[in-house]
Amino acid sequence: MASIDISNIRKSYGIHPVLHGIDLEIRDGEFVVLVGPSGCGKSTLLRMIAGLEAVTDGEIRIAGKRVNDLAPKDRDIAMVFQSYALYPHMSVAKNMSYSLRLRKMAKEKIASVVAGAATKLGLEPLMERRPKALSGGQRQRVAMGRAIVREPKAFLFDEPLSNLDARLREQMRAEIKKLHKDLGATSIYVTHDQIEAMTLADRIVAMHGGIIQQVGSPLDLYDNPANLFVAGFIGSPGMNFFEGRYIKLNGKSVFAPTGGVELLLEAPANLEEGSRATLGIRPEHVVLGADGPEAQMAAIDLVEPTGFGIILHLTLGPVSLKAFTLDRRFLNATGEIAVRLPGSHLHFFDESGRKV
Amino acid sequence: MASLAARNGGSQRDQRPLKKRLADASAPYLYSAPALILIVTVMLVPLVLGISYAFRDIQLLKPFSGGFIGLDHFRTLSQDQNFYRALRNTLWWTGWSVLLQFVFGLILALLLDKPFFGRAIVQALVFLPWAVPSFLAGLNWAWLFNPVVGPLPHWLFALGIMSEPNNILSDPQLAMWGPIIANVWWGIPFFAITLLAALQAIPRDLYEAASIDGAGPVKRFLSITLPFLAPTIAITVLLRTVWISNFADLIIVMTNGGPADRTQIVASYIFTQAFKRLDFGYASAIALVLLALLIIYSMLIVVLRQWLLSKD
Repeated sequence: MASIDISNIRKSYGIHPVLHGIDLEIRDGEFVVLVGPSGCGKSTLLRMIAGLEAVTDGEIRIAGKRVNDLAPKDRDIAMVFQSYALYPHMSVAKNMSYSLRLRKMAKEKIASVVAGAATKLGLEPLMERRPKALSGGQRQRVAMGRAIVREPKAFLFDEPLSNLDARLREQMRAEIKKLHKDLGATSIYVTHDQIEAMTLADRIVAMHGGIIQQVGSPLDLYDNPANLFVAGFIGSPGMNFFEGRYIKLNGKSVFAPTGGVELLLEAPANLEEGSRATLGIRPEHVVLGADGPEAQMAAIDLVEPTGFGIILHLTLGPVSLKAFTLDRRFLNATGEIAVRLPGSHLHFFDESGRKV
Repeated sequence: MASLAARNGGSQRDQRPLKKRLADASAPYLYSAPALILIVTVMLVPLVLGISYAFRDIQLLKPFSGGFIGLDHFRTLSQDQNFYRALRNTLWWTGWSVLLQFVFGLILALLLDKPFFGRAIVQALVFLPWAVPSFLAGLNWAWLFNPVVGPLPHWLFALGIMSEPNNILSDPQLAMWGPIIANVWWGIPFFAITLLAALQAIPRDLYEAASIDGAGPVKRFLSITLPFLAPTIAITVLLRTVWISNFADLIIVMTNGGPADRTQIVASYIFTQAFKRLDFGYASAIALVLLALLIIYSMLIVVLRQWLLSKD
């Protein structure tokens, strides 16, 4: 177990920069999830921590020790790959004990460690099988078993669940979380799936374009997204955005969406008068069937039942808007509906996309 | 079929089901007939004919030969010292050729598996010898070993490996190495191509997982590369062994079995018997023995491979 300090890490492939100065401190025993769209550099960062990619510039420290120039095997970390990367010609037991055998651990000790991990993961009946005779979920478990027998300083997960079907993914997600609670090991987990990020993480690191956009607890990122990217990336269905201008009318704060109906704000926003801005609201915060002076009429384009709730696709003036509700009354809604955007749930982003 | 249909068509109407039954029953044979006829005429007939020669006295210079003589050829063969020497030479020739081709082919494949500048061009160049006709390759190497026109003897002399710049092809002790070297040069690409293809099929993240697990380069080679290559190695070595032991072109071109039969292998001995002494019967008998030996060898390799696969 150890802390991991990443300071001003850069990575370029030739002249093509991929990571632009990443700073991140991961505390001992923390579960950190790197999340972002494809190509944001999250996997590259993980592979640099593992030692599979060279560091162009900056410093990585594991337990206070600089590891930039250490080979992967000397960093005392374990990694779970998206493809599982199990050795196909070895049995499950051999796969799990490979690293211990390389370290010349005593045979009895290996047997007991592997048996312990197998019990923890429910792999006992499969120990003599080859990976090709296992299902996806079982392979995933073996890959995790291979990691935990090492008792490494840190676990690295590279999209470990993306090859599983939805049901199994849910189940394995819970198992990973439970395992982390048991072992308390420092873990870094890469995923593009924001649900995985939200459910697993102590802290989420949202990345985009080789830059960290925001670091914080899952609810932090959900409630207080630092910028437009995080606001749009976290949450499903995604946040609604309206571009427009922040103005004052008769001494009252008003947001005027481009070509849309002006919106009277309950409180003034931290924006300069007349500046361009983006307003955001999550679909679940849109109040449907509202009355009162602030209610506006929106046209219903589409109703999507998800079973759990209902997603309504609306058009408010020239902009489209999504609303999420648990109320089944809206299942057969047609025509127009009155909506209200409550002030306490509005997010404002300035012209550069930063939250204000 | 057509005549059958015509005859049946002329008789009563209630015969139609029978006709249809016949047509249905014969359809699979008719469909496979072209392939079967081709295989029988092109492969089986010559094979049976060739095997039958082994039991007959067929000599082109004796017009009245051709009679059935039973196992006489095989009795002669069992006493034929030249045949035994050719058999020993075949082992030597095949063993060293396959071993060196495999080792160099594997090294080349491992080098070409790593990305470097100009790899595509190097790959193309490496595979060039395979495209050279074996006859031409033999002539070329014969010239290279010839001290009058070739540089090799002079280089070996300059390096102190040879006491004087002689032609190794005329040295009874060394002559076999001439065709072996030519064969290795010519056959490396085969191993390089097949092993490179197998290497590139190994998932890269296995190596990454192993390096994190603590395996160094040698360990990674032994516990990932070799197990992945093993089936390919078994098959290619088997194929090459059979081909090379049958492969007399280079020897015929470079030494013609000489000096003093020191480079005579079974395949070139068959060639000599058949086309120099024109004794087709005896040549067929030798060929039959060679065929039997190669079949036994192949079966052994296949059994060995099965045993290795079932062991773990």
